[in-house]
Amino acid sequence: MNPYLQLSGVNKTFGDFTALDRIDLDIEQGEFVTFLGPSGSGKTTTLMIIAGFEDATRGAITIGGHSLAGLAPQERNIGIVFQNYALFPHKTAAENVYFPLQMRGVKKAAGLAKAEEMLDLVGLKGFAHRYPKELSGGQQQRVALARALVFEPDLLLLDEPLGALDKNLREQMQIEIKRIQKRLGVTTIFVTHDQTEAMSMSDRIVVFSDGNIEQAGAPLDIYHRPSTRFVADFIGESNLLDAVVTDAEARVAECPALGSVVFGAEGQPPVVDGQEVALLIRPEHLKLSRDPKEGRMNAKMVIDTIVNYGDNALVIGHRGDTQIRVRVPGADVVILKEGEECHFSWTEDAAFVLDR
Amino acid sequence: MDRFLRWTGIAIVIFIAAPLVIVVPMSFSTSPTLQFPPPGFWLGYYAQYFTDESWLRPTFNSLLIALMTTILTMALVVPATFALVRHKFWGKGAANVMMMMPMAVPHIVMAVGYYSYFGSLRLVHSHLGVILAHTCLAVPITFLVLSANLKGFDRTLERAARSLGATPRQVFIHITLPILRPGLLISALFAFIQSFDETVVAIFISGRDAETLPRKMFDSIRQEADPVIAVISTLLFVAVFLGLIAPHVLRLFRKLFSRAAPKPVRATRNTQATTPQEVK
Ligand SMILES: Nc1ncnc2c1ncn2[C@@H]1O[C@H](COP(=O)(O)OP(=O)(O)OP(=O)(O)O)[C@@H](O)[C@H]1O
Ligand SMILES: [Mg+2]
Repeated sequence: MNPYLQLSGVNKTFGDFTALDRIDLDIEQGEFVTFLGPSGSGKTTTLMIIAGFEDATRGAITIGGHSLAGLAPQERNIGIVFQNYALFPHKTAAENVYFPLQMRGVKKAAGLAKAEEMLDLVGLKGFAHRYPKELSGGQQQRVALARALVFEPDLLLLDEPLGALDKNLREQMQIEIKRIQKRLGVTTIFVTHDQTEAMSMSDRIVVFSDGNIEQAGAPLDIYHRPSTRFVADFIGESNLLDAVVTDAEARVAECPALGSVVFGAEGQPPVVDGQEVALLIRPEHLKLSRDPKEGRMNAKMVIDTIVNYGDNALVIGHRGDTQIRVRVPGADVVILKEGEECHFSWTEDAAFVLDR
Repeated sequence: MDRFLRWTGIAIVIFIAAPLVIVVPMSFSTSPTLQFPPPGFWLGYYAQYFTDESWLRPTFNSLLIALMTTILTMALVVPATFALVRHKFWGKGAANVMMMMPMAVPHIVMAVGYYSYFGSLRLVHSHLGVILAHTCLAVPITFLVLSANLKGFDRTLERAARSLGATPRQVFIHITLPILRPGLLISALFAFIQSFDETVVAIFISGRDAETLPRKMFDSIRQEADPVIAVISTLLFVAVFLGLIAPHVLRLFRKLFSRAAPKPVRATRNTQATTPQEVK
C-alpha cells in the first residue's frame, strides 16, 4: 500500500541558506507523527511547505496519491493549530469554529450547530459565546483545535501548540489532543521541542537536525536504538563514551573510561574489528552501590553532584576525565554523599554502540 | 512628588479648558462684538448662524470638502500603507519619506505653492482644488495612524484563515478588514478633522466659491469680531464632545440591553459528544 502522506526529496533554500536539505518521509493514514529537533532545524519550514505557505525549492508532496503542487493553502484541506492559536479576536468561539464551514458554504444555523458540537468534543460546552480574550490559554487552545478539525481535514498540523501552557495544563492537553486525534482518526503531525511530550504522544518520532531527518521511528526504538550520536544525545539523557571494537564477533569494545565492555543490547548496527564507536548506556540503566554488584559489570566513580527531583535523582560523577550520569530512585538518594567514591554497575544488554 | 504631579495635571487641564470657559459664555452674549465677560445673555446669535446664508454656505462647503478629502485620502492611503508595511520594493525608503513630507513642510509654504501651481491649472477658487490640497495635507497623519495599526496586526491570523479555506479576498473581507476597522475609522476621522480644521491653505486658494468655515471665521474676526464665531466654536466643541462620549454611551446601552435578555445556557452536560462524522 502507498503511504498516505509522502514527502520526497523536499528541499528549501532561502537565498543561499539551506533550511531543508533533503526530506524524505512517508506517513500512514491515521498516524500521529511528531517532529522533534532543536531550534532552527527546519520543523516549521516543513509544516509550512506541506500547508502551502512556502514553496519547496525542490521535491514533491502527495496526500492520498494526489500531488499538492500548485494547490493554494485554502485548497489543501489541511487543519493547522498555530503556537499562538491565531483565533480571530472579533469572532466568538463558536464563530471561530464556524469559519471554515462558512468558507465551505455551510449555512449559518447548521454551521453554528456543528461548531458547538465540536466545542463539546474538545470539552468547551457552554463557552460558545465567549470571545477569545475571555478564554484562558488552555481554552483558546481547545477552540483552535476544534476549528482545525471541524471541517474534517485530510491532515492536522500542530506547531508547538502547547509551548505557552504551564506544566499541568500541558499534560492535560497532551492527553486531550491524543484522545481527540484517536477518536477522529485524523492523520496528525505535531511539532515540539519537548522530548517527553514526543515520547508520550507519538506513534512515530521524526528527529530533525540541520534541515535533515536524522532518524524516524517508534518512540522506544528511537530511545533504545538511536542511529546517531545526535539522536542519542537529544532524546533522553545519555552516557556516550568513546570506544574501539576489539572483537566484533563476541561484541566486545575497549573503552578508555571503563576498560573492556561487552555491548549486548538488541538491534545494534553491524560493526567490524577496529571500528571507532560511541558506547551508549542510559543513566537509568546504571545502579549505584557501596560494593561491587554480583552478576553485573562494575566500575568505580566519585560523586560530584546530586540533583534531586523528589521521585528520582540524577547523580553526576566522574571516573578519570569521563563524566558519568546515573539516574537513581528517590529513596536511594539518602545513602549517597557528594565527594564520596562508590560503584556503578550495568548489565551487558544495557550497552549499545553506534557510529561515532 | 504625587502632589506635584496632581497640581501640574490640574494646571494643564485648566490651561486647556480655559478657552472653552471664555468661548461658550460669549456665544450666548448680547454684545455686538466678542466681549468677555458678556453684558447679558440671549440666543440671538444661534438664530443668526442657522439662518444666515453667508454662514451656512461655508459650513456646507467645509463639510463637503472634508468628506471628499476623507474619501480620497483613504482611497490613496489604505493601499499605500499595505504596500509600504507589508511589501519590499525598490524605492520604498523614498516613498516612506514622500508620504510624510506634507507634515514636515510648513503649511504656509504649501499654500503659496498651491496658489501658484493650482492657478496655472485653473483649480484656484474651486472645491476640487481645496479637496486635492487637503488630501495631500491629510496623507501623513492618516498614514501614521494606519501603519501603526497594520504593523501590530498578527499575520498568522491571515494564514490561519487561508488554511481554513478562505481565498485571499475572503481573508481580507472576513478577517483583515474587520480587525483593522477601528484603526481605519480613526485614521478617516483624522483625515476629516485635518481638512475641516485647515485654515492657511484655505485662505490662499478657496476663494469665494469654495470658502470654508475656518476661512469665513478668520475673515469675520478680522472685520467685525461677530459673536457668531463663538456660536460655531461652541457647536464644534459640542459635536466633538458627543463624538467622544458616543462609544461609552453605546457600550452602556448594550450592557443594559444584554443584561435584560441573558443568553440561554444549556444545563445538561453531555460528555459523550457525537463526533462530527456522525453529525453529518
Ligand atoms: N523566511 C525565511 N527567510 C530566511 N530564513 C528562514 C525563513 N524562514 C525560516 N528560515 C530559516 O530556516 C531555518 C529553519 O527554520 P524553522 O522555522 O523551520 O525552524 P524550526 O525547526 O521550526 O525551529 P523552532 O524550533 O525554533 O521553531 C532557520 O535557520 C530559519 O532561520
Ligand atoms: Mg518552529
